Amino acid sequence: MKITVHYTINSKACDLEVDAGETLLEALRNRLKLTSVHRSCEEGECGACTVLLNGEPVNSCLMLAAAADGADILTTEGLMRGDQRHPIMDAFVDLHGMQCGFCTPGLLMTGYSLVRKANGGDLDEATIRQSIEGNLCRCTGYMNIVKAIQEAKRRKDAGDWW
Amino acid sequence: MESREHRLISGRGQYADDLDFPGMAHLVFVGSPHAHARIVRLDVAEAEAVPGVIRVITGADVVEHTHPLPVQANFTSPGWTWRLAEVYAMPADKVRWHGEPVAAVVAEDERTARIAADKIQVEYDPLPVVAGAEDALKPNAPKLYDDWPDNKQVHLKFDFGDPDAAFKEADRVITVSNREGRVTGLPIEGRGCVGHYDRGKGTLTMWGAFQTPYLQRHNIAAAMGLPEARVSINAVDIGGAFGLKIHAWKENVVALASKLTGRYVKWFEPQRDFIVTGPHQRDVSWQGEVAVKNDGTLLGLRATVTHDLGVESTQKGIAALSIFPACSSPCNMYRWKGMHIEGIGAVTNKSFYCAYRGYGKDKGIKFIEAVINRVARELNMTPEAIRFKNFIQPDEFPFKAINNYVLDNGDYPGTLNRALEMVDVDKWRAEQEKGRAGGRHIGIGIVTSIEPAGVAVPNCQMGGLTQARVAICPDGTVEVDSDRTEIGQGSEISHVNIVSGILGCKKEDVYVRPVTSETIGQGPLSSRGAVWPASAVAKAAKQLRAKVDRFAASMFDATVDDIRIADGVIGCGKDTEKQLTFAEFANKAFFFPGPRRLPKEVLLEHEQLLSVTTTWYSPSTPESGSSYTTFCTSADIAVVEVDTETGVTKILKYAHVHDAGTVISKKVIDGQIHGGIVQGIGEALMEELKYDRNGQLLNTSFAEYLIPTAVEAPVIEIAHLVTPSPFSETGAKGMGEAPIIGSKAVILTAVEDALSPFGILVEDSPASPERVRAWVNGSKGDEQ
Repeated sequence: MKITVHYTINSKACDLEVDAGETLLEALRNRLKLTSVHRSCEEGECGACTVLLNGEPVNSCLMLAAAADGADILTTEGLMRGDQRHPIMDAFVDLHGMQCGFCTPGLLMTGYSLVRKANGGDLDEATIRQSIEGNLCRCTGYMNIVKAIQEAKRRKDAGDWW
Repeated sequence: MESREHRLISGRGQYADDLDFPGMAHLVFVGSPHAHARIVRLDVAEAEAVPGVIRVITGADVVEHTHPLPVQANFTSPGWTWRLAEVYAMPADKVRWHGEPVAAVVAEDERTARIAADKIQVEYDPLPVVAGAEDALKPNAPKLYDDWPDNKQVHLKFDFGDPDAAFKEADRVITVSNREGRVTGLPIEGRGCVGHYDRGKGTLTMWGAFQTPYLQRHNIAAAMGLPEARVSINAVDIGGAFGLKIHAWKENVVALASKLTGRYVKWFEPQRDFIVTGPHQRDVSWQGEVAVKNDGTLLGLRATVTHDLGVESTQKGIAALSIFPACSSPCNMYRWKGMHIEGIGAVTNKSFYCAYRGYGKDKGIKFIEAVINRVARELNMTPEAIRFKNFIQPDEFPFKAINNYVLDNGDYPGTLNRALEMVDVDKWRAEQEKGRAGGRHIGIGIVTSIEPAGVAVPNCQMGGLTQARVAICPDGTVEVDSDRTEIGQGSEISHVNIVSGILGCKKEDVYVRPVTSETIGQGPLSSRGAVWPASAVAKAAKQLRAKVDRFAASMFDATVDDIRIADGVIGCGKDTEKQLTFAEFANKAFFFPGPRRLPKEVLLEHEQLLSVTTTWYSPSTPESGSSYTTFCTSADIAVVEVDTETGVTKILKYAHVHDAGTVISKKVIDGQIHGGIVQGIGEALMEELKYDRNGQLLNTSFAEYLIPTAVEAPVIEIAHLVTPSPFSETGAKGMGEAPIIGSKAVILTAVEDALSPFGILVEDSPASPERVRAWVNGSKGDEQ
């Protein structure tokens, strides 16, 4: 069965016809070619497919595309301003918070959401580590990812765009 | 030029799953639910009737259209056992492990392929299961391969130095044993590729997560029965590898599917398949005895290490090859008189064995470090004291060890001293004493290790092949080819640093091209990236620099000694009039404005104008037979606290000192250290693939096979020493595996130290909460 859904994706309105059994991950990757949303476990364990749904991180592999009807969805592609990298992306590059890059888009989304919500308040290391617990990384040992999120917070607090 | 980092961070990476070609079909594998069974009937009719299904490929198709998987390592020596089984990419008659693929569905889309895969009917006749190495080696055990006399695939015997003399001299001999669980490296991205067989041209082209394109081309061409020259293998962005993507196995079925359908065919592996049918590692047990003097002098070791290899590897012989470093590495960085080591590999009904970060070096070093710490305890010495007593000293290099390794150099005592500066072990020991009184169990672990890096061994495909090309294009940009695939370990950053440093060009003008099978080489494995490919790239860059100097001297009417190059500008002495950017220089050298003013002898010998292709070979290997070239040094100190109620181990402090010779990129090295240490912690405390007696793998997802998250990963403190290697072109030493070697050893020895009041020997890993509780409960209930 086909279902028509309406999303706002990366600030753009979009109407899409999806299968009833299709996951949001499949719709984003296969229909919209948003290939930053990575497929790995498809069981909600690894976080590689994390996107923001109405501002909250979700595993897009666990959600049906139809169930996201009406949602505001943000992916890594949507963090860019043209060719300009978002400050959290700069922080990941500057602090070497990325090695193979496969888990990175998911971590960017979780990290972005975390820093956005921290709103000037404190963001300690333990909170960051707990918040990204659902995003598995096998390359970095998480050290520089945690530092990059802290740095992104500093840059945001210092007035960098967000 | 846009960097890899920019491309990936902005979401524009192109991984195997992102590959898309016109008319591309999708392939899905069907796995066996049995660990050992005869295939009685395989019915694909219902699956092929599903609309959108193009074709089903069965094991019978594979046997009909392809050749057995090629041999990649074959050692025969008198008194040794080395057996190889004839296997195809998919079996037609018999399955030998839970999950082994028996068929593959090719359909217009992946969802259809998955639906059809469920409709394939297979009737099996189950056979007795060989559930582990111990069972496999029993007389009358069921056999995996009918034409073998038993299940022993490998038995190697080594005498290093004079083991008998070592034991004769001993004041005491201590019996030691150790076992480690089966694990998988499990990068977050599974395996995957697209294959395209062009029926018109008779060529096969593949793109995907290929870690070693040159070897993979050879092996895929052999299995497919195609001339190698007509096969091309291309690496795309790879989501981690750690050795697990050197395969040429399911990839053959993808290639065959394309050949039989004429379509581009894509396969991307779900993580569950990667765990169940992926390469596994470790799963070894050690039995032995160590000979020492009462003053702590290490003398000798006699030990046997038995490996549960699973089924014959898809990389035939490469699994068994890892038994060599397991047997050699216990020498580590100490003076020994002699060792007798035997390495046994048994085949069982489990998924196959292949490379994973460490590749046996980790096993030998983890074992000997545990042994040394036990010896120290028995002799009432500290772990640091026994090491200082036995280290090879800085003035002894190059040092030919009894295992034939030629150790390049290092400062072993200095490395440990630096770690002891970072962690006040006396303070922690006092804390430990105090804690014990209050029921807290703190443990301090100290481990030192070298990492044999950059393998080159005879009788296999790991003979030391590498090639590099560095070229200046007519627009002044620089391109670099090597066999060092970017798997997240920093190939690209390293090559850019090396080339820009030697040529004097701008970093942003250097483009490291994706690795293809056009470049000869083994690829990045055995931590060889900084040794072999980096040396070849540096050598090519130096030769290219000499050409640039010579051309520029001619253009400026000067001598090569006058040429200065920095930050992309080629200058001549102090004459600021005589300056060319790389773009101006290159354009002039290739095209105009004329005259090109190249030296006449260059015009007469015009080949490879501003392009150098070269190779490199380890200077220490031909002389000595040393199978590794560089030996980086590290010291790990960990402080843990074990909760004896819950069995949970918490890491309170972790310090790592590293000497990888010349630092090509500090951030790359630190990143390798962080990641390797956390992988090692996973092995030490969490990770174990558990098979039941029927050969069923019980933990097949990230929910059940636990790898460290950000919460379990500790804060890691790092310090560097720099002792440039005389054996590599840049002075750098391979270091990718050192962190995993040290960390799993140090965590386990720290846990043992924490549990010493219970008299517990940590002889099994992982030291999972369940296992720690069992140890504590089994230790007479109370602290001794």
